[in-house]
Amino acid sequence: MLLQQDHYKKSYYETPFHSRTSELNILNEWQRWKDYTVATNYFRTDLEYFAVRNTTGVIDYTPMVKQKITGPDSAEFVNRFFTRDMNKIAIGRVGYVVWCDEGGQVLDDGTVFHIRENEYWLLCVERQLDNLAISAIGFDVEIEEITDDVACLGVQGPTSCSILKAMGFEGIEQLKPFDIKHYDFQGHEIMISRTGFSGDLGYEVWMVNEIALNFWDELFEKGEIYGIKPFGLDALDLVRIEAGLLVPGQDFMVAEDAIRPGSTRSPFELGLSWLVDLSKPVFNGRQALLEEKKRGPRYTFVKLNINGNKPAHGSYLYNQSGKKIGTVTSAMFSPSAKANIAFASLHEPWKKGKDKIIAEIYYQKDLEWNRVMEEATIVTKPFYDPERKRITPAELY
Amino acid sequence: MTKKNKKIVIVGGGHNALTCAAYLAKTGFSVELYEARSQIGGMASTREFAEGYTVPGAAHLLHMLDANIQKYLNLKGHGLEFAANRLKTISLNPNGDALVIDGDRIAGGGITTREQQEYKAFKKKVNKLARFFRSAYRHSPPRIGSDKKKDILGLMELGWNLRSMGKEDMSDMLKFIAINVYDLLDEYFDDDFIKGTVAIDAVLGNHLGPRTNNSVITYLHQLTGEIDGVQGAYAIPNGGMSSYTDALKNSAEKLGAKIMVDSSVREICLDESGKVCGITLENGDEINADVVVSGIDPKSTFMCLVGPRHLEAGFIHKIQNIRMRGNASKVHLALSALPTFNGVDANDLGQRIVLSPTMHYLEQAFDFTKYQACSDQLAMEIIIPSIHDASLAPDGHHVLSAIVNYTPYALKEGWDKAKPAVLENIINTLSQYAPGIKEQILHAELLTPKDIESEYGITGGHWHHGELTFDQFLMLRPISGMGQYSTPIESLYICGAGAHPGGGLMGTVGRNAAVELMIKES
Repeated sequence: MLLQQDHYKKSYYETPFHSRTSELNILNEWQRWKDYTVATNYFRTDLEYFAVRNTTGVIDYTPMVKQKITGPDSAEFVNRFFTRDMNKIAIGRVGYVVWCDEGGQVLDDGTVFHIRENEYWLLCVERQLDNLAISAIGFDVEIEEITDDVACLGVQGPTSCSILKAMGFEGIEQLKPFDIKHYDFQGHEIMISRTGFSGDLGYEVWMVNEIALNFWDELFEKGEIYGIKPFGLDALDLVRIEAGLLVPGQDFMVAEDAIRPGSTRSPFELGLSWLVDLSKPVFNGRQALLEEKKRGPRYTFVKLNINGNKPAHGSYLYNQSGKKIGTVTSAMFSPSAKANIAFASLHEPWKKGKDKIIAEIYYQKDLEWNRVMEEATIVTKPFYDPERKRITPAELY
Repeated sequence: MTKKNKKIVIVGGGHNALTCAAYLAKTGFSVELYEARSQIGGMASTREFAEGYTVPGAAHLLHMLDANIQKYLNLKGHGLEFAANRLKTISLNPNGDALVIDGDRIAGGGITTREQQEYKAFKKKVNKLARFFRSAYRHSPPRIGSDKKKDILGLMELGWNLRSMGKEDMSDMLKFIAINVYDLLDEYFDDDFIKGTVAIDAVLGNHLGPRTNNSVITYLHQLTGEIDGVQGAYAIPNGGMSSYTDALKNSAEKLGAKIMVDSSVREICLDESGKVCGITLENGDEINADVVVSGIDPKSTFMCLVGPRHLEAGFIHKIQNIRMRGNASKVHLALSALPTFNGVDANDLGQRIVLSPTMHYLEQAFDFTKYQACSDQLAMEIIIPSIHDASLAPDGHHVLSAIVNYTPYALKEGWDKAKPAVLENIINTLSQYAPGIKEQILHAELLTPKDIESEYGITGGHWHHGELTFDQFLMLRPISGMGQYSTPIESLYICGAGAHPGGGLMGTVGRNAAVELMIKES
């Protein structure tokens, strides 16, 4: 179903929340996300960021690509499509997933919602209908893209549970991380999952378009005393780096978009070995990944804590002898971790445990370019990892 | 584990599977072969289509027999004899005298001395180019991009064979691969009749017309064959096509292979780790095996017997996209007497007769095929095997066997409905050249590509288990990345015509697969 039949006149879609988000977007800064227009910033990136970290931020996730997989073979289908053991994701649970092409290279990452028996939703950045359809040969499944039919909000931050509870969603605090629960909202079923992209306590709410505005209004009304604020994609980028989450097209090349051999990454090369279960007899990319296991990866994904306070955007990384050993894919100065953090992809001749990592950082002062060389250390835990992210029942404020 | 107690199960009993079984048994493996039909041989077998009238069930001529296999398996000793060898090709002429081709000599049909010389030169050229192909047929095709010594040497050998043909032939080879047989023959000949006669060899059994690019490859592929050392020769085995596959069977059994008929395979079974562990028969019997070799076509092997859910999606997608659009039907006629063909010497009726007067005739028939229809003027290759073997029909009676091209598998009208009309058209076309044949017909049978699919279990009824186009050739056969008889499933191999070097009654695929398997499993 097309959301707006007249979209071609404007060449973009508006999400069902647009009348509200456009009122709040006092900077009038927008960007295109899968043909929808969504706010880049509403009022100030840093204040939006701090709303997520200290109270609650709300983001319009509607453009997220959503695909529904149903049918008697759906469990077997998802287990062959994704690299991890999908039998471990029970009904009412969500799992983080990646999936690969034939060469074992990552096509995208996303989350799978096991909504009920023989029904899964795959939520991700890139449209996957063709990959899913090819993979469906020989399976009794139906695959449907429902991106335009389901409106979605991310409600993220320490007070998010209190707000949803104040809206009357009983037992919301009992949801464990990655749990799904269905509620009734004004006669329509809505789905709330304890998931998000912020690395903090937070929820995602899935609803039909018809009730989107009513839900928004009620959410902001009940949320006012809990410090609710909308946040845009710029602030989202900051919280997801602190949470240690990757973005396809930025931290790795989507395999089917890559032109040059060697520019793609396997799950092992993205630090996602824990998502790959080679003991499964078959899944897409398994054969190539088994060979990679024997051969060893070409790249190593690392999280870095870099000296100084200049964000290492797009920096080259060198070892102590001045040899190039990698590049930074995402970088920021983290206000919560109080550290200069980055994601990087390292390659030869870098030797784990032996070589230093030195970032070449360029920054401007009054249009004048400066360069510093700063040493970096590898961080294994997420940069920002508060206890309340995991605690159940969730904390109420 | 030694070879002797490694058990190999072969699915299907066509000539390639039988060859593979014999080779493996000879090396000391324990081999069991399971054939669904009650007769082994697949498309190289005999068929009693009416009481007392027997014809070759599908293939009706031997012309690509691999001499090495013949010798290694002692097929002569096991009963393979030729009732007729070095058959001439007689091309039916709508306007009079038939054209007679005997090796590189051509006569009749009103052709000139100059054209005779041109034909000689042409044959010399194409035979030489075909021998280049043959040099690549007798072993596993090398893998591209592999760093294994064997693959690098294989590629070097292929390059060397090409280079050592000489500058002129090498550049001809590169040109011929790209163009179509229509343009090629136009370059060599003026006479339409000669061109039509030659062109049928490029298109018979394939989904292409003379103007389709790639039709020179199919022509050269066909010319790679030889009988008793004579390139391009045709032979009819004594006792029908079965005697070829029976000889293979006898040879395999003598070497210790067990051959089971009436044993349709339902499933190729995998263990928990995804390695092959045996097969299940249609009757529910489970047969364990250390290695399974499939002699049936790749689509049936993976889509039906293994099942898509046991393989990666990218692989299944490629298998599904293998082009195998069957185009050739088989017509069998029981005749009350020997027919007469216009312009054909009565002594030549036992030869290979082709009905393909011009390249336009072929192209126009192919045009119908492109749109899932069937022309009423079809091209044919006809033999009357009862001339060489009286046992095939009652006294004085004869059987005629014809391969009819351009009868598409996916007929829009549907074969159930169209079959009687198509058979009638074919008989009408024949009677244009053989007046009186209609009155001689006692029984007639048409096996459409659909029938061939159900009778012989080949997807799309495609005789070669996959079209012989350049993208499904050499190391790309059946699909890229699977050119060396092994499959993504451990200890599962393929040995049917869907693998390199493809269709034709060669047995080379079966042999190559056996050699590859010995290296990998020993």
